[in-house]
Amino acid sequence: MAASTSTESQLASWWNYFFLYDGSQVKGEGDPTRAGICYFYPPQTLLDQQELLCGQIAGLVHCVSDLSGSPPALVRLRKLKFAVKVDGDYLWVLGCAMELPDVSCKQLLHQLIGFFHFYNGPVSLAYESRPREDLRAEWDLLIEHILGNTGDLHKIFNCLWHLDRTKVEPLLLLKAALILQTCQRSPHVLAGCILHAGLIVSTQLPPSVTAKVLLHRVARGDQRKPTEETPQERGVAFPPNVQITPVFLTEEEAASLREFPREPPASTPASSARLQEPSAAPKENAPGHVGSKDQTSTTTPAPPSPDAAWADGSRENGHRSDPGLANTLPTALHCAAAGKGVGLFGGNGDLDLSEIHIPETQKTEASLSHPAADGRGPGCEESVHDPGSPGAKPPGSLPLGCLPASAPEAVPQNGALTQPADLPGDLEDPGRTSGPGRAPCLGLRQRRTQLPLEEQSEEQRGSGAPEGRLTLGPDSADPSDEGPSADRTVSRVSPASREGLVRMNLYTHSVKGLVLSLLAEEPLLGDRAAVEEVYHGSLASLNGLEVHLSETLPRDQAAPAARTYNFAHYDRVQNVLAANLSQVTTVQDRRFFQAVSLLHSDFARLPTLYEVTVRNASTAVYACCSPIHETYFQQLATAARSSGFPNPQDGAFSLPGRAKQKLLKHGVNLL
Amino acid sequence: MKCVLVATEGAEVLFHWTDGEFEESLRLKFGQTENEGEKPPALEDQLSTLLAPVIISSVTMMEKLSDTYTCFSTENGNYLYVLHLFGECLFIAINGDRTEGEGDLRQKLCMLKYLFEVHFGLVTMDGQLIRKELRPPALEQREQVWGRFQSLLWTYSRLRDQEQCFAVEAVERLIHPQLCKLCIEALERHVIQAVNSSPGRAGEEALHAFLLVHSKLLAFYSSHGAGSLRPADLLALILLVQDLYPSESTAEDSDPQETDSLSPIEEYFTPAPSPGEQSSGSTIWLDGGTPPTDSLHIQMAEDTLQTLILPSPGPSGPRRIFLDASVKDNYCPMVPHTMYCLPLWPGISLVLLTKCPNTPLALALYQLLDGFSQLEKKLKEGQEAGSALRSHPIMADLRQRMDKFVKNRGGQELQRTWLEFKTKAFSKSEPGSSWDLLHVCRKVKRQLCVVYRFSFLTMTPGCGCPHLPQHLQDQVQTLMQEKLADWKDFLLVKSRRNVTMVSFLEDFPGLVHFIYVDRTTGRMVAPSLSSNERTSSELGRGPLATFVRTKVWSLIRLARRYLQKGYTTLLFREGDFCCSYFLWFENDMGHKLQIMEVPVLSDDSAPVGMLGGDYYRKLLRCYSKGHPAEAVGCHELLTLHLSVVPTDVLVQQAGELARRLGEASHVPLL
Repeated sequence: MAASTSTESQLASWWNYFFLYDGSQVKGEGDPTRAGICYFYPPQTLLDQQELLCGQIAGLVHCVSDLSGSPPALVRLRKLKFAVKVDGDYLWVLGCAMELPDVSCKQLLHQLIGFFHFYNGPVSLAYESRPREDLRAEWDLLIEHILGNTGDLHKIFNCLWHLDRTKVEPLLLLKAALILQTCQRSPHVLAGCILHAGLIVSTQLPPSVTAKVLLHRVARGDQRKPTEETPQERGVAFPPNVQITPVFLTEEEAASLREFPREPPASTPASSARLQEPSAAPKENAPGHVGSKDQTSTTTPAPPSPDAAWADGSRENGHRSDPGLANTLPTALHCAAAGKGVGLFGGNGDLDLSEIHIPETQKTEASLSHPAADGRGPGCEESVHDPGSPGAKPPGSLPLGCLPASAPEAVPQNGALTQPADLPGDLEDPGRTSGPGRAPCLGLRQRRTQLPLEEQSEEQRGSGAPEGRLTLGPDSADPSDEGPSADRTVSRVSPASREGLVRMNLYTHSVKGLVLSLLAEEPLLGDRAAVEEVYHGSLASLNGLEVHLSETLPRDQAAPAARTYNFAHYDRVQNVLAANLSQVTTVQDRRFFQAVSLLHSDFARLPTLYEVTVRNASTAVYACCSPIHETYFQQLATAARSSGFPNPQDGAFSLPGRAKQKLLKHGVNLL
Repeated sequence: MKCVLVATEGAEVLFHWTDGEFEESLRLKFGQTENEGEKPPALEDQLSTLLAPVIISSVTMMEKLSDTYTCFSTENGNYLYVLHLFGECLFIAINGDRTEGEGDLRQKLCMLKYLFEVHFGLVTMDGQLIRKELRPPALEQREQVWGRFQSLLWTYSRLRDQEQCFAVEAVERLIHPQLCKLCIEALERHVIQAVNSSPGRAGEEALHAFLLVHSKLLAFYSSHGAGSLRPADLLALILLVQDLYPSESTAEDSDPQETDSLSPIEEYFTPAPSPGEQSSGSTIWLDGGTPPTDSLHIQMAEDTLQTLILPSPGPSGPRRIFLDASVKDNYCPMVPHTMYCLPLWPGISLVLLTKCPNTPLALALYQLLDGFSQLEKKLKEGQEAGSALRSHPIMADLRQRMDKFVKNRGGQELQRTWLEFKTKAFSKSEPGSSWDLLHVCRKVKRQLCVVYRFSFLTMTPGCGCPHLPQHLQDQVQTLMQEKLADWKDFLLVKSRRNVTMVSFLEDFPGLVHFIYVDRTTGRMVAPSLSSNERTSSELGRGPLATFVRTKVWSLIRLARRYLQKGYTTLLFREGDFCCSYFLWFENDMGHKLQIMEVPVLSDDSAPVGMLGGDYYRKLLRCYSKGHPAEAVGCHELLTLHLSVVPTDVLVQQAGELARRLGEASHVPLL
């Protein structure tokens, strides 16, 4: 990652405005528009101008939604285009230069909103609980960072900052992947990624999550100290260079993480011992069963809802005063009881069990898949992602996966957790008492209430309490006024649940330039043993990896030899770009970017389009795409000017062949 | 779900056009909010209520940011809004069903603006005057004016979706050299010469005559004195004729709502020479009285303009239209012409264009208006007030010409305004501020437009202005009918099967379709594609034919998009087809010239095409600058191949095809 700040002014030419406007603050005639401006970039914009843009765009959005029944997503002017996103009363707007494709502009705004949600939760919550100045400072940093690190091609594809894998020893990539796998075996941990100097080395996370984790340092840089300290005051001191930050994932992201095939928490002898017994029966049919279930049950509506409810419920529990708790207790008991008869609950129960009790199988799978991935060199992460995406793992597997470490009664819990999906009838009553549509929350309430039941005071202090505190946003002092602010809590909870955000913890451990980031279920923050386990399990390998990476990388950053062609190879699934562009942008490069922007938009728009050659007087660009890749190729040698009349000898038409031949050595196979 | 709205900056509706679905959606919207008993507001009011915030916001942005909206798309992707500001009028096009892209909508708006120009000429230069033309205070007249343009827009949309010539915006010829020759002779002798030698032509001079079979051009003849007719204007005239006399099959197949919006349709289908009776009133007037002299009426003050009534000639009567022309070696846009459209049989029409006797007035007015526009621009831009301006060379010239004009023609109001201008601009004692000057400059312009309007719009051929006597029109019509009687049925069939793909299949295996366009002459050649379910081409009329049509249309769209961004060659594979587009320049010897850097245009620029903007003319002018010595021609070829055809074979075929079609088009037919 190159130095950022100095380039800002130059790069800002494509990023004109970014603002967040709260329409609810400007309802009456007399309300000044400025009251609704939560954030405006660039900050030096005159207030009048800010008001003009906010007011006009907000008015326009209202009018267009009125007429079309859908808000505008893109508003174009002659010299400027705005991507727009309506978020309840809030309005997110990003103003970009005309040359940026519409689709990229919209995507970038989407990403920015994603960053904000990830670190701050729902907008309304963040802006109610934290002063605008704090958030403004964070935004400034974030935007500066993005501007400083977004090259010409990056801004078209909005891709992730990635280590050039062709310049790294494949074994190091394998090592990084293995570190992540080891960490996954620790309790609570779901998946993670390893970054070096702000670039991805290896990731198990879906691209949208990786993008957010990548900016962790920027978003939560130095001003995050308070969060780190609080747990320490409470006696949960973290190891050096480790931070645990509460984050918010979208339901889909959380679901995809939880579907991830994980090593069972067999590392702790205690838990494995505990699990041995109940596992006996389902063990035999486990592998086959898993397979079939994978194929059949992926579409069941159940998976996302418990996840969502989970966050929801935990938040509620944190704030809810006695009546709420009272409600959940009987349920929990009821469920626990019901959960005892696992067999009754058919598929799900079985499945979850089988998930846990096939450590051998999974291990071999994992170890098998790795050499394979390694053999493919750059495709290392692919193999990590792949299992997650196609065959969604059964929903129950993940709460289970992280529970046993702390919860001895794993099996009943599991039953209880999966039950809402299977037998909603049983659980409906308590759900209704707490309000309509709450039913799915039960799963997690039970879970939460069970924890104290099982490991009484220790658990309550360790995991229950921090959770409650965290719901208000890391910095807030709110936990104290839990009682009196009952109504506020309600209003705060509703936008959060509406937006379907799921709370998790982000564990980061930096070793010089190397950062290990892990997403874990919330209890991690309070579970000191688990944190220690992750830390000590990975420390040595991280140190080793860091040394190797910093040894190998600088040498490879030498200026590339003179190019005879430009190419860009974009991975649509992983959101990763490979290209051979140099730092200095030439005229031909700019022509390449222009063609790429146009073609990228058309590939996005026309799904059946798969191969294009375009040519103007000075250059020709060839592009092709498949469902997973987009490839662009430009020959740099100045060709003799032709007439434009169709002529088979024309160099433009031999581009496809040349691209196929030249790109092979970059690991891009177009054949 | 389509809508077009033209509004002033104050959100006053100057024109609107909506399809049934859009009206229905508005009805639902207003039905909910209004009380049961009350009648929902008029469509025009509904639109202005809904879109006023957009219009006002757009004006505000223009004032404060000097930038304004050009396009919105909604989150669900269904709605697309395109906005285009022409002078003081904001044009808005909305599509709510994903059937049109931004390019299509912008093209529609530019087309509408072009149609306004064809009908109102230079009056479109003045915001206030054009407002009165488009929105006459009397409701009945307003409906009439709007009805005419609504009908034209329907016709345009239909033709653009059905006819290749309107899709690529070039004139398609009916290819039959023998018959063409015969027709040209007939047009020369029996139409142009017959009219111009007739004593009763009332000062009119026949300039161009052409024969149309449906939307295809059979023959075209221009008199010796006439300048050339722009291909864009010719295509616009074809549109007007198609609007007056829609081709039977296409009209019947179109939406029922489409026919609703047209004025009495039966009239179009009666080929009997009904125009005689309709315009008899004016003929009598012509015979009996003397036309009032200009100067008498020009003295009218601006306020009284409202009382002027836009005459309503019968739909098929002669029509005043404004086309670009060269008058005495001077290029002059929007010169008044009179169009006589004489239907021979359903689907076959003869069109005659005449020039009215006071054409020099139009030229003089244009030159003055042009001068004042330049002045206005200078005043707007800079600080050149008072003395600096007075000494400006264009100023002296303008003053001299204007003095002369006012002396000869001027009414009181024009004289007064001109005097006011002179005091502000030239008097030493009382130097006017730049803003004052700008104001009075606009006033002079308006007065000039008033003169123009009175001379060419108030006195239209149907009412008050001399035009060819009916018997002369009848004579011409009958003569052509006699000449073509034997060919009539052949022509109607031929127009549907003009060029057939069969003749190319053997030499070009794998070729599915092509369009070849000569942009210098604005002519195109393409195999016939069935335009609807009833007529069939070689591809039949089933889903395959429809599929190929959609492919061709999307190829045209994509080629345009890339040309707008500066790419002159495009080759892409999509599904089972491989599409290619080539643009090149050649000199009159057929020698291919080196390609030039084509300008990269912004998304909100006028779309690539001929109607509304005339992109290719600008392109040719731009290219010719680098080749001053030779006549430069611009050509385009679009091909659709099966995707199994390898690229090199495809390109080779395209080259061969272009060569063959180029040679064919060199054979002079017109």
